[in-house]
Amino acid sequence: MSTLSPRLRQGRRGLLYLALFGGGLIWLYPFLWALGSSLKSTDGFFSGGLNPIPSEFHWSNYSEAWTQADFSRFFVNTVLFATGTVIVTLLATSMAGYVLARTDFPGKKIWLGLVGVTLFLPHGYTIIPVFDLIQRLHLLNTLWSVVIVQSAGGMVFGTFLFMGYFTTIDRGLEDAARVDGASFHQIFWRIMLPLSGPMLATVGLFACITAWNSFFIPLVFTLSRPELHTLSVGMFNFIGQNSTAWTLVCAGSVITLLPIVLIFVVLQRFFINGLAGAVKQ
Amino acid sequence: MSLLATRQRPPRTAPTVAPRPGLWRRIRAAKWSYAYLAPMAVLLLAFVVYPIFASFGYTFYRWNGIGEPGDYVGLANFQQILHDRIFWGAVGHTFVYAFVLVPVQLVLALALALVLNNPKLKFALFFRTVYFIPVVTSAAVVGVVIQLMLANFGDSAGSLLAKTGVTDGQIDWLGDPHTALAVIILIGIWHTLGYNLVYFLAGLQTIPAELYEAAKLDGCGPVQSFFRITIPMLRQVGVVIVVLAFIGSFQVFDLVQVLTGGGPYFATEVVNTYIYHLAFGGSPGSAAQPDVGLASAASFLYGLLLIVFSALQVLALRGIGRRRAA
Repeated sequence: MSTLSPRLRQGRRGLLYLALFGGGLIWLYPFLWALGSSLKSTDGFFSGGLNPIPSEFHWSNYSEAWTQADFSRFFVNTVLFATGTVIVTLLATSMAGYVLARTDFPGKKIWLGLVGVTLFLPHGYTIIPVFDLIQRLHLLNTLWSVVIVQSAGGMVFGTFLFMGYFTTIDRGLEDAARVDGASFHQIFWRIMLPLSGPMLATVGLFACITAWNSFFIPLVFTLSRPELHTLSVGMFNFIGQNSTAWTLVCAGSVITLLPIVLIFVVLQRFFINGLAGAVKQ
Repeated sequence: MSLLATRQRPPRTAPTVAPRPGLWRRIRAAKWSYAYLAPMAVLLLAFVVYPIFASFGYTFYRWNGIGEPGDYVGLANFQQILHDRIFWGAVGHTFVYAFVLVPVQLVLALALALVLNNPKLKFALFFRTVYFIPVVTSAAVVGVVIQLMLANFGDSAGSLLAKTGVTDGQIDWLGDPHTALAVIILIGIWHTLGYNLVYFLAGLQTIPAELYEAAKLDGCGPVQSFFRITIPMLRQVGVVIVVLAFIGSFQVFDLVQVLTGGGPYFATEVVNTYIYHLAFGGSPGSAAQPDVGLASAASFLYGLLLIVFSALQVLALRGIGRRRAA
């Protein structure tokens, strides 16, 4: 490295940035294409092919997609569903992660082993017994059922992340608090939880992304109540009903993608820090 | 990560430290631990663990999923699955998917992580976001958009390749049994690379910078410090990344379902779409009538296969780790 002339080094750096930008453009191309196509006229869509730039901008595609497919209702449902999932996941996994990282109790190791094993088992088909269980609990066709089943799917990963994170926090803090007379609950809610901001963001973001994108679970548990459908399910109805309105399909894709991408872009700096915290220990 | 720590030590019930208070007393002393664990435990047991066992019960019945299972058939479902060429084809496709996707993706992700981890790199955050964005997007939307892009409208990818003479004639990428699986693997690499990029970045950040400085003082070049410092220091995180990548690939479902539904002629049928088609119908030629019993038997057999494979994988990776350490 040090033997290279400054100019050669600069050239190499230029090439690196060129490659990163070029790769990034290819990486984002499907999104740029969907965005461009969502603004095309129907004719423009068929003649445009892979060219994402519309010859004229048809903003009305958005209002049409929005009203035709009842997107406002799907949007509210998706927000409620994702928010509920994030809250349930964060509460359950942070509490579990804390006690698994910091307390010792009979059965802990058996539980950890069981949790590890469930990671490797195929889950896809278990939808039938889950459906049965939800039906017996009289939760079928409610947003609650979707929130609960979706949250349950994120338990293992979230708990492991919180466990890793809490192990890195200095034990002295808890000991000091205990000496000052803090109870078990105070230590968790007043000290440990406020300290775990990056991990709350990481696990919350994970839960939010998977809930927002979830297709199968909201579909199956709201089958007979179309007014409870979420965006990704709603978009599929939309394709069925308007199989030729491809520009509207593209507009629908953008409406579905944009909010979650924005949330990610805003929160993403926590993401790596959170994961790094879990990896360290 | 803690996942590995758990798997390395088999669960033991006997306390390792000598005299301890009685079991009952220890359980009572830990009552708040159990209370805090309870929400997670209940959700996991009810919606993940119980259904696995409940499905095992279904494997002995011929059942369309409606009402109570009635028609007891013993082990016939297992027999039928073991003799089904489509099942073994699906297992093969899933393994091809995993064994092509995981190595390619991990090499790409590690290379990208090394570049993006350079503190002197400008716009690192921007690039990190760009390469992660496909992860954030749903397979359903990705499937629709990619299908539209690959369709032969106007100047599509197919006609461009045909014009430049790379291929003769238009290729129906997802409709041709020879190309469909390859296209799905490519899209799979694109769609989930971001996860491994972030894991590797997290791993790289745990390596103290002083190690590299010391190596540089000793006259180590970048290639040498990559093999002497980066790789050994990433070993532990790397094992977790490899295991997670394989688990994810073996469970592939959404992408295949929205892109091809397992077709054409079962050329992209993976185990999870096969199970789905058995349980809910919907694939021409597979099961005309949904059969939850058959589907459960298939997923039970696949589960066994995965457990054996995972155990081998962990053993192999630990073996490598030990040899390196010695």
